[in-house]
Amino acid sequence: MVQLLEIGLANVELNLVSDKEKRLKFCINDHMDILIEILQRLDGRSLGSAACVCRLWQHITQSDMLWEHLCFHHVSPRLPSGVRPVVAALGGYRRLYMLCLRPVLSRLGLARQLSGGGGHQEVVRRVWTRHLVELSLSLFCVDYYERLGSGGGGGGRVGDASASSLMFLCKPVNV
Amino acid sequence: MGPYESAMSSSGSSSSCAGKAPDQIDGLLAGAGYRVRSSELRNVAQRLERLETVMVNTPSEISHLANDAVLHNPSDLASWVDSLLSELNQSAPIPELSDLTYAEPLDPAVNTGAWMEHHPAEPHREIPQVLTAVEEDSCIRLVHVLLTCAGSVQRGEFSLAGALIDEMQGLLTRVNNRCGIGKVAGYFIDALNRRLFSPQGAGLIGSAYENDILYHHFYEASPYLKFAHFTANQAILEAFDGHDCVHVIDFNLMQGLQWPALIQALALRPGGPPLLRLTGMGPPSSDGRDSLREIGLRLAELAHSVNVQFAFRGVAASRLEDVKPWMLQVGPKEAVAINSIMQLHRLLVSDPTRRSPIEDVLGWIRNLNPKVMTVVEQEANHNQPEFLDRFTEALHYYSTMFDSLETCSTQPDKALAEIYIQREICNVVCCEGLARVERHESLAKWRARLSGAGFKPLHLGSNAFKQASMLLTLFSAEGYCVEENEGCLTLGWHSRPLIAVSAWQAIPQPTPPLGLVNPYNNVV
Repeated sequence: MVQLLEIGLANVELNLVSDKEKRLKFCINDHMDILIEILQRLDGRSLGSAACVCRLWQHITQSDMLWEHLCFHHVSPRLPSGVRPVVAALGGYRRLYMLCLRPVLSRLGLARQLSGGGGHQEVVRRVWTRHLVELSLSLFCVDYYERLGSGGGGGGRVGDASASSLMFLCKPVNV
Repeated sequence: MGPYESAMSSSGSSSSCAGKAPDQIDGLLAGAGYRVRSSELRNVAQRLERLETVMVNTPSEISHLANDAVLHNPSDLASWVDSLLSELNQSAPIPELSDLTYAEPLDPAVNTGAWMEHHPAEPHREIPQVLTAVEEDSCIRLVHVLLTCAGSVQRGEFSLAGALIDEMQGLLTRVNNRCGIGKVAGYFIDALNRRLFSPQGAGLIGSAYENDILYHHFYEASPYLKFAHFTANQAILEAFDGHDCVHVIDFNLMQGLQWPALIQALALRPGGPPLLRLTGMGPPSSDGRDSLREIGLRLAELAHSVNVQFAFRGVAASRLEDVKPWMLQVGPKEAVAINSIMQLHRLLVSDPTRRSPIEDVLGWIRNLNPKVMTVVEQEANHNQPEFLDRFTEALHYYSTMFDSLETCSTQPDKALAEIYIQREICNVVCCEGLARVERHESLAKWRARLSGAGFKPLHLGSNAFKQASMLLTLFSAEGYCVEENEGCLTLGWHSRPLIAVSAWQAIPQPTPPLGLVNPYNNVV
């Protein structure tokens, strides 16, 4: 928890050097707006860890707005406003990130590494093109559709809680 | 200047030039007295590895090396290693793992390279692919006997064919039949067996429910169907641009896995979603469940969640040629898209007494004047009149497909996908006449046929290609390749295309035929 705070605080400029204020304890939980600003800048894994810190942080990290920011704020031009209700209807940004975006990005990042490209953050961000977004949304929609089928018992598959057609994303990468 | 001093000075000079050109002599090795170009370092390393393997494997023949090595001046390391290797190769040919070459097949007309090539190229498989000499021989012999057997079946020499099948089953025991050529050969031998000895129940015909399950597992085990769905959706999406009332006709709905992505893309298109009607066709379900309606309800629920106005209609027909256009209830102002995933080839049954069903169906499709018709077909020639030609072609095609399936690691997807393909194999090999529905034809033939029926091709565009490439990357199995072929996209395994997606548009007819105006003006 201390490490997370340090990382977060490093990104935000806080003026704490006055001697008098040093004696007062600073608790980030009293400043929700700063906390949200910090959490918005974390990557997915850190956000997941942050959710385990305390109940307040868990509540905040469950807000879909944070995950929406994580998913799409790198995309330019900005996605149309109609995307948000669609994603919300299909299961939310957190699920979109965990199920589709994260494995897709790691696969594509790995593919670039294997094909000789660099592996750092800049390359990963450049990869977030329109095609990637559209493909992820399509796969997410197929996932929702399959959950409809297995939940309703109308399809031919019994007792299959996880989305089956996205299982290929969960397979270990054959390096 | 001693060797160590020269090493330090040249290593100092090499470290100063960080971005050295590949043709420069490598500085570090130069310090030790070897002149090797940087571009050749990799080659030299490989050759040294080979030399080491050779030396380890044949210790008896290298005693002369110990004497000769001192006399050589190793200033050019690459050619020195080469000369050593060539000396050793002359004395004792060693089979190197990276350069396995197989003996020429007995029948020179058969190109066994297709399925043999993949063995050396994959070092990371769980099952070791190094074939012993006995297995190698048995594989080649198996293929040869398969083709001989097919030839004898074609000529009607059934007793000979039966004896050959027994021989092949014996050969199978000596081959690893859990992967590679052994597995494929097993299925083909089984199919030949069925053709000879059980003509009544020749093809493997399952219920519609079983076919559904097998199809679903095939969908998950390999990227072919996903590729087909996504590419066809892209073509349909582009064709529907600007239309507010759209109607998609799917010739084989199955579980409707293609349509969620299209519904979502239409929901997010700039300008808002259109009114979408979907007509799904499928075989009538025998056990009383109305599976078409269930799928329609699921799709409707999805469309409702994303605020797309949606209407579904199911048409149950056991054969595509039984469907008449009035059943589809196409409205006059709708933009129509026809989607055929591996259905058109079933219409190619040629009966000289009747009009060919493919012409009938293409005729009424053309009369509907669709904005786009997406055609997905297997890229193979399994409809030749001669049995032996079909058999040979099928052996190539399905071996490649089984190879690509080996990359799937999720069970039971892989096993059930193999059964799905096995049914196709049985149909191609065992059945004749009306029962043989898997009459695949190549893209070139479909092009000719569709152009002759009054359709012009629509190029699929770079968006579809990029999407397909991205989808392929997600499968993380090296070996699949997407290729563009005159505006059509094909997906294949190691440069053998296996499935082709193309888009077509009807050429407007000069005079409207009678009956074009649809009596149904209301939207269902």
